[in-house]
Amino acid sequence: MRKLSDFLIATVAGVCALVAVGILVGLVAVIAQRGAPAMSWSFFTEQIRLVGAAGGIFWNLVGTIILLVAAFLICAPLALGLALVERVYLRSERMRRTLRTVLYTLNGLPSILFGLFGFIVFVQWCGWGKSWLIGGIVLALSMLPTVTVALIERLKAIPSKYVEAAAALGLSRAQIVWAVLLPQAWGGLITGSLLGLARAAGETAPIMFTATIFAGATLPTAIKDSPVLTLPYHIFILAQDSFDPAVGSKLWGAALVLLGLVFTLSLIALPSRLKIHEEADV
Amino acid sequence: MTPIHFLIPFVALTACALAETLKINGSTTVNLVVAEAAEILRAEQNLDIQVDTQGGSAGGISLLGDGLVQVGMSSKHLSAEDRAKYPAVQFRETHIGEDAVALIVSKDVWDGGVKALTKPQVRDIYEGRVMNWKDLGGPAQRIAFFNKEPGRGTWEVFVQWAYGGAKKAPQVSFPEVGGNEETRNKVGSTRGALSQLSASWADGQRIFALGIKGDDGAVIAPTPENIASQKYPLSRPLFILTNGEAQGAAKTLVDFVLSDRGQELVKKHGYLRLQDLK
Amino acid sequence: MTRAWSWLFSFVALAALALLVGIFVWQSGPVWRHEGLGYLTGAKWFFRQHEFGALAMIYGSIVVSLVALVLAAPLGWGAAVFIAEYLPPKARLAVKMLIELLAGVPSVVYGLLGILLLRNWIYEAFAPFDPLSGDTLLTAGVLLAVMVLPTIVTLSDDALRAVPAAQRRTARALGMTRAETILHVALPQARRGLGAALLLGIGRAMGETIAVFLVVGRQDNNLPERWLSLGPLLESGQTLTSKLAGSETNIGYGDPLHWAAMVGLGLILLLLTGGLTLLGTGLGRRTNA
Repeated sequence: MRKLSDFLIATVAGVCALVAVGILVGLVAVIAQRGAPAMSWSFFTEQIRLVGAAGGIFWNLVGTIILLVAAFLICAPLALGLALVERVYLRSERMRRTLRTVLYTLNGLPSILFGLFGFIVFVQWCGWGKSWLIGGIVLALSMLPTVTVALIERLKAIPSKYVEAAAALGLSRAQIVWAVLLPQAWGGLITGSLLGLARAAGETAPIMFTATIFAGATLPTAIKDSPVLTLPYHIFILAQDSFDPAVGSKLWGAALVLLGLVFTLSLIALPSRLKIHEEADV
Repeated sequence: MTPIHFLIPFVALTACALAETLKINGSTTVNLVVAEAAEILRAEQNLDIQVDTQGGSAGGISLLGDGLVQVGMSSKHLSAEDRAKYPAVQFRETHIGEDAVALIVSKDVWDGGVKALTKPQVRDIYEGRVMNWKDLGGPAQRIAFFNKEPGRGTWEVFVQWAYGGAKKAPQVSFPEVGGNEETRNKVGSTRGALSQLSASWADGQRIFALGIKGDDGAVIAPTPENIASQKYPLSRPLFILTNGEAQGAAKTLVDFVLSDRGQELVKKHGYLRLQDLK
Repeated sequence: MTRAWSWLFSFVALAALALLVGIFVWQSGPVWRHEGLGYLTGAKWFFRQHEFGALAMIYGSIVVSLVALVLAAPLGWGAAVFIAEYLPPKARLAVKMLIELLAGVPSVVYGLLGILLLRNWIYEAFAPFDPLSGDTLLTAGVLLAVMVLPTIVTLSDDALRAVPAAQRRTARALGMTRAETILHVALPQARRGLGAALLLGIGRAMGETIAVFLVVGRQDNNLPERWLSLGPLLESGQTLTSKLAGSETNIGYGDPLHWAAMVGLGLILLLLTGGLTLLGTGLGRRTNA
């Protein structure tokens, strides 16, 4: 009897795992299968024509990358500052906990709220219109908690003996930060940023009011009124409006490219994340 | 070390400023023509034109009013309210073609016998008094009415005809559709579906345009002749909007759309050219 | 120097985030004055008549999140149990990495799958119940279930692994089967973490915008008479996020009251998701004490 329930539980759990993994792998397979016909060199190098029915997604890809680079450059110093303050410069444990709580809470905030924030403050109040920079700021804010938390965890994992040894050698606090903490934390910054960027790459809601349009933009030339084309927004608009069969495989193709971008960013972070896991799983 | 130091060379490295960027926003109906015109102008004259369709006709008007775009696209007349909202803006409507709004239904409704509706019948549906096609001589199927988003030119033409204006229309709650393609997609894939859509988008295979039955029982179908002669009541003008007289790249665009080549685009997308209206 | 820069950047970051919350509170002021508590309890949203009641949308958000949870939780927990308890360490790591990778699938891609596949499945599958179309609260719920599945699996797996291995060994040494160990030792201890996984999953589901926008139907004021009826699942609905992603955000900016109403929706969303995340993280961290 007990053996039976043992077997049943194992089976049920196994089925669940199979179904869960199966659904997720399955949907990637569907996208790959439907998007494959659209993959060609010209798809990547041409721009959209005929409202998505012809041409390629070159500028969409460029625009997404521009936003991601901007987001990283804005987010990195802010995350570093926050992490250092939390680990090194804050004295009281309560303040630290409060800061961490704030970060965790903000991590769960829907991205559309960041988009509305960007719309109100930058598009309207600052009068910038739609701009790639606003997209960068908004995405940076939305990835900030992820990157900061990753950095803090990484800094926490640095064995205290390194810090103690450095202090014993007479290094000042600033020197300790630069000589000991930051070089080790660099990996955490990259890993956290890649994870944040992977998520940011697929975001539509924060950029649709602030940074992107459907057709006509190439490289931004200024800050004001300089939107970009992006992959997620392209897919979003066409998903609602596409009935034209010609658009069909190109739409899936764009989805596949976006998926590829997101997965690549996640996968680059993989080795260092595996290392952290191994260190933690001791 | 600050983000600003990284951004300055980044911005400087991007392409040096092209001639003024022409920004356009507005109706998805007009967009088909203007977007293609923009592609042609971009290729032939190297103009930098950006086209978007946020918010439909209403979006085009408000973004033009806010100064965020130089050209708006609209499939409805500007109202007194619109003008009052932006007193400093001199809206200029340039008529580029004509289109008709049709009540479109899915195949099962058309095949089930409903080929036209009267205005009272439409009102009954809109206000929820009639909920099944069998009450209208059609198949026994629930009426799946998809209402166009408020602000869409298509919707405004519809309520103008059915009620005399947007303000006089009762507030109703139906599932909403946004652009023209989404409407066509949804109506085509749902049984018993009904929605408002540009007449030229009805393909006669999955989507069918109903005629309007008048008090005398005569059915007026949304054919080009009926639209041109104004017999079909739900026609609406297609406009390019500018603040004051169009200048520079905007003028180039307007001139192009009014030219023979531009008007061919109008016809290509199923609308009526200006000359067809005479 | 380093210290000064660190504090400066931290200040900028925190100020921006405080500004975000502050804006939502401040800019929604007019609608609170206009409607008072009726804004939360009113079931009708007619922006032309300046009548703003968010209840139907709050209902929509809660319903789709609950549907997502009801579907994803059992599956996710079961999968987590398998991964945490039955897989050898290397396989476990591999599967975990795979699921985390798949957690990154963008919302808009889910929306695409929803429009082109899920919507028709549900429409055909529930045809006997005469749904209006394939865009229903149920469709959105099912889509969300798939989206939060990775989150629940990963967090539940973490919670189960946090139970010390020594306890499992002791249980086995006492003669308990693996299943009994899981049911009577591991799961009860991981209760809090599993609950936290749920809360964070709901939080994510509630904040999901684009996928829901594409398949929920976007019908306002569709509040059912009886709260616990199942009928509305097959009707089109509106959630806080689908409203915010729609056209009213674009056209509402010129009208202070309409804009305040839209921002107010954002505020409600912020409080709901923030609260859920706070609860979930607090709960989750208590287990690590």
